[in-house]
Amino acid sequence: MSETNPMPNGAGTACGSCSLNRAANLKRLGVTMDDWDYVVALAGNPNVGKSTVFNSLTGLRQHTGNWPGKTVSRAEGGFEFAGKRFKLVDLPGTYSLLSTSLDEEIARDFILFGRPDVTLVLVDATRLERNLNLVLQVLEITDRAVVCVNMVDEARRHGMTVDDRQLARDLGVPVIPAAARFGRGIPEVLQAISDVATGKFECRPHRLHNEPPAIRRSLNELVTRIQDMYPDLPNARWVAMRLLAGDDHVHAALRNGDLGSAGMHGATGGRTESGRAV
Amino acid sequence: MNADQADAGAESPAEDILRTAQRLRQGITGDLHEYWVEAIYADAARIADRAVSRPEKKARPTWDRTIDRIVTSRLWGFPIMAVLFTGMFWITISGANIPSGWISNLLIDRICPLLRQSADAVGFPWWLKGLLVDGIYLCTAWIIAVMLPPMAIFFPLFTILEDYGYLPRVAFNLDNLFRKAGAHGKQSMSMMMGFGCNSAGVVATRIIDSPRERLIAILTNNFALCNGRWPTQFLIASVFIGSLVPAYLAGFVAAASVTGIAMLGVAATFVISWLLSRSVLKGEVSTFSLELPPYRPPRIWQAIYTSLLDRTLFVLWRAIVFAVPAGAVIWLSANLSIGGQSIAEHFVNLLNPIGLLIGLNGVILFAYVVAIPANEIVIPTILMLTVLTTGSTAMGQGAGVLFEIQSEGALRELLHSGGWTLLTAVNLMLFSLLHNPCSTTIYTIYRETGSARWTAIATLLPLAMGFAVTFTVAAIWRMFT
Amino acid sequence: MENVSLVILASLTAALVLLPKWGLIARWRESRRMTEKCRREDALKYILKREVNGQTPTLNGVAGALEIHSNKAAELLSEMERRGLISFDCGQLRLRHAGRELALHVIRAHRLWESYLADQTGVEEAKWHHLAERKEHLMTPDEAEELSARLGHPVRDPHGDAIPTVGEELAADAGQSLNSAPLNAVMQIEHIEDEPETVYAQLSAVGIRPGMRVCVFEKSPERIRFWADGQEHVLAPILAHNISVIPLPESAGQDLFDEEFLAGLKPGQNARILGLTTACRGAERRRLLDLGFVPGTSIEVEMVSPGGDPTAYRVRGTLIALRREQARLIRISTSEAQPL
Ligand SMILES: Nc1nc2c(ncn2[C@@H]2O[C@H](COP(=O)(O)OP(=O)(O)OP(=O)(O)O)[C@@H](O)[C@H]2O)c(=O)[nH]1
Ligand SMILES: [Mg+2]
Repeated sequence: MSETNPMPNGAGTACGSCSLNRAANLKRLGVTMDDWDYVVALAGNPNVGKSTVFNSLTGLRQHTGNWPGKTVSRAEGGFEFAGKRFKLVDLPGTYSLLSTSLDEEIARDFILFGRPDVTLVLVDATRLERNLNLVLQVLEITDRAVVCVNMVDEARRHGMTVDDRQLARDLGVPVIPAAARFGRGIPEVLQAISDVATGKFECRPHRLHNEPPAIRRSLNELVTRIQDMYPDLPNARWVAMRLLAGDDHVHAALRNGDLGSAGMHGATGGRTESGRAV
Repeated sequence: MNADQADAGAESPAEDILRTAQRLRQGITGDLHEYWVEAIYADAARIADRAVSRPEKKARPTWDRTIDRIVTSRLWGFPIMAVLFTGMFWITISGANIPSGWISNLLIDRICPLLRQSADAVGFPWWLKGLLVDGIYLCTAWIIAVMLPPMAIFFPLFTILEDYGYLPRVAFNLDNLFRKAGAHGKQSMSMMMGFGCNSAGVVATRIIDSPRERLIAILTNNFALCNGRWPTQFLIASVFIGSLVPAYLAGFVAAASVTGIAMLGVAATFVISWLLSRSVLKGEVSTFSLELPPYRPPRIWQAIYTSLLDRTLFVLWRAIVFAVPAGAVIWLSANLSIGGQSIAEHFVNLLNPIGLLIGLNGVILFAYVVAIPANEIVIPTILMLTVLTTGSTAMGQGAGVLFEIQSEGALRELLHSGGWTLLTAVNLMLFSLLHNPCSTTIYTIYRETGSARWTAIATLLPLAMGFAVTFTVAAIWRMFT
Repeated sequence: MENVSLVILASLTAALVLLPKWGLIARWRESRRMTEKCRREDALKYILKREVNGQTPTLNGVAGALEIHSNKAAELLSEMERRGLISFDCGQLRLRHAGRELALHVIRAHRLWESYLADQTGVEEAKWHHLAERKEHLMTPDEAEELSARLGHPVRDPHGDAIPTVGEELAADAGQSLNSAPLNAVMQIEHIEDEPETVYAQLSAVGIRPGMRVCVFEKSPERIRFWADGQEHVLAPILAHNISVIPLPESAGQDLFDEEFLAGLKPGQNARILGLTTACRGAERRRLLDLGFVPGTSIEVEMVSPGGDPTAYRVRGTLIALRREQARLIRISTSEAQPL
């Protein structure tokens, strides 16, 4: 479908000076997406620059603002990179995937059941510890993720540096430093997304080591049970945890048999390669 | 494939797991969620520690801190808020006059006659020419001339403030009042979105976690003056209120009166929230948390660019979409007559007694009926109908034709001849604040609450308040004059 | 003429009285049926509670619990026996299988509804029990299950009682009354009896909740003085009787007396978070945890709103504003604070 015309800001016309131009492969597709190869979810804490990244990748103008909660419903857009078409979904910011407010639920359900092929998690370099809370939760669910450490300009101003290689080693997924507001790091993010989506880069996501002792026994028992039934499930422990916590959605997913395929894409490798896992 | 097998194997494995989970859950003492979050944070802290290197001596964000201390201080917090917002309105009012003049000069004085001529040249019948040029075109041109300049100034200013990170501080300052009203501090964020567009404001209430407080925020969002209503306020304030004082003070006084109306809206928000939380939405205030982001230098050009493109043009587009049919309706209602009187006049005469009772008039009320789809067209409708009912054809080209705004003076003259007084102006400003939301907002409220009852309350409550307030003001006014 | 209107009047009256669904008789019968149902279920609840606590249920007990005359109670019990809910074994009241199931369901519905009121509504605490007393008779097992799922399958209700699951036994009341607690030992509140309502309302008004750690240091026939949540409480023994407590190991109670709360922290001071108190429940608790208010975190007061209420705290690199009611739910320690 490559003959589809790019949208107004397509093909680098709008952005002459920014570093995106170097990524000559990028074609912003705006909202004209009727067909795509990969779905990318854009998750992260509130106010870390998700919509800014979304805009620079798709050429759309999703509203941004310096306050948490600017985006409250999901927005979709597309781009083409290295000959593949990606659908990018901008999600409301969430502190965690365990909570219950409406905007957080939208984000959570998409990461869980929306079958993203890659989840791009944005973190704020100046408050890495807090943001890693969400990253680790995402990595419990999916094993195809890219972490983008945004706002490195601000971190530098405060005299902080983030060692992205160390972080990548610890997390087991690509980690890209960026300053989305100035277009820095975006080409590298693109490359990383494409590598993970096509399977060129194999993620070995960090999983929690120190399960709380009070629940270890119950958790292990349930995990064994789940693994017996669904040997391919990549996140049996997370599912077990949610079941113990009485999560309605996961219950329902288990009942409907969604757990084997939808959302838990590790089992099938996403929609494009869904035949492979048979 | 695995999933299919699980599906085909049906019920039992899944049910078995669920039962096991249920059994194990009973055996866990303490809060599972808590254990899990603690474990994750422990890992996060360890990983972050290894990856981040901080300077030996803490480079404190002292600049942020100083600003925060000032804008949230007991002494300066509220004055700074008032000055910032009044300043914004002042820049908007005094800055919008000149380009408004240019645009109306271009669209109405220059292009309109050309259109008339070409219509004549092509040989349109009088009614088609009237409908197209005097009805649709003029109404639309008017809206562009009146709305574009203030919005093109107001929105970028607001976006810059938003980009800087000031809005959450407003929420922080106001939360105490919201708490006392039984509402959520984040309601001030949705309220500020409502200053742009109530429909967007209603959607923005999603950031409020608790259903009760969210409903309060939805029901009171209409008290935040929106796009469609700012121009009414700006225009009436500068024509009637600003003219009360010497010219050099006019801009300031007009801005102050608009701020006053906006503040009244905020006050109404508090009062109604308080009443709701004491009556139908009784209950305790639940959880509140608000993150205050660091200040960031606003991107001025981007703010101008995006707010022009998105907000201004979007709102303008919406106004025009509604103005086209409204222009046609107004022209038709002014030119089709039943029993010797035009339809518009019938309606106006019907509504006149009520209108006069509450210090307005039939024209204004009829305009608000026509403007249910979009508040933006209130002013053009009022002007067209005033021309019609006063029969002051001197200013325009016949019944129901929008005239040129040569100057504020001319506008004032016209409205005076339509029986307007200062009371009419003040009450129009009040009624523009307190009346039913536009149809888009009503629909959004229905979508967000999923309840016809709450939608009806959200629609009728402000309308009832509007009648009550304007009636009281008129009664008091008449007592003293 | 007169006749006609008389006929109309008569038939209208008849309709008002006799109409199958809306008529007075039908309504009266419906409400009677409902009262009967409530009574039966309440009686079952009473019998089950006595049984699990090792006490024998009696006819007079039923009459007392339901506040009805004993003749009426006898009638009720024989009706229940006819329905196969209970049996009289040589004068001994016993639940039969169907009766036990029904009683469990009613208790489950009651406790679930209380959890719902506590976690997801703003209804004040004193009303929970009363509302649940009515709701428990109206819920079907499926509805109860649905509610349970919506609440994330809670294990305990806000009074600290276990919520029985389908097909499970009811647990016996654990713990001893606060009146009989040993002096100077650290105990934990396991359960607060929600009847009579006035007593419960008083206890909840002074902030006493299940899960709280308490230490009694004076007992006399007039009053009981104890320490809990960073302050001293004084209660009359009849009130204290409704609080049941279980002992805690010595180690769990060391810091009880120097407990501090975030609300007490002054601008510029910093502290370390010890945890959230048990009064912080449901969505609020989850939200605070997700925001990083977890044990061990350093916290500092950054600024106070002009109105004096929300206060902004610096936690893990972010400014987060909380209201005082919430800051009161967070336990801290200033002595162990590390500089941020
Ligand atoms: N200094 C700096 N600021 C940035 C950067 N990226 C984004 N911002 C700013 O951060 C603020 C938040 O950006 P958004 O894109 O709206 O954030 P978001 O994650 O979509 O926020 P929510 O929709 O509320 O979850 C805006 O003011 C941006 O201008 C960056 O790399 N450096
Ligand atoms: Mg966003």
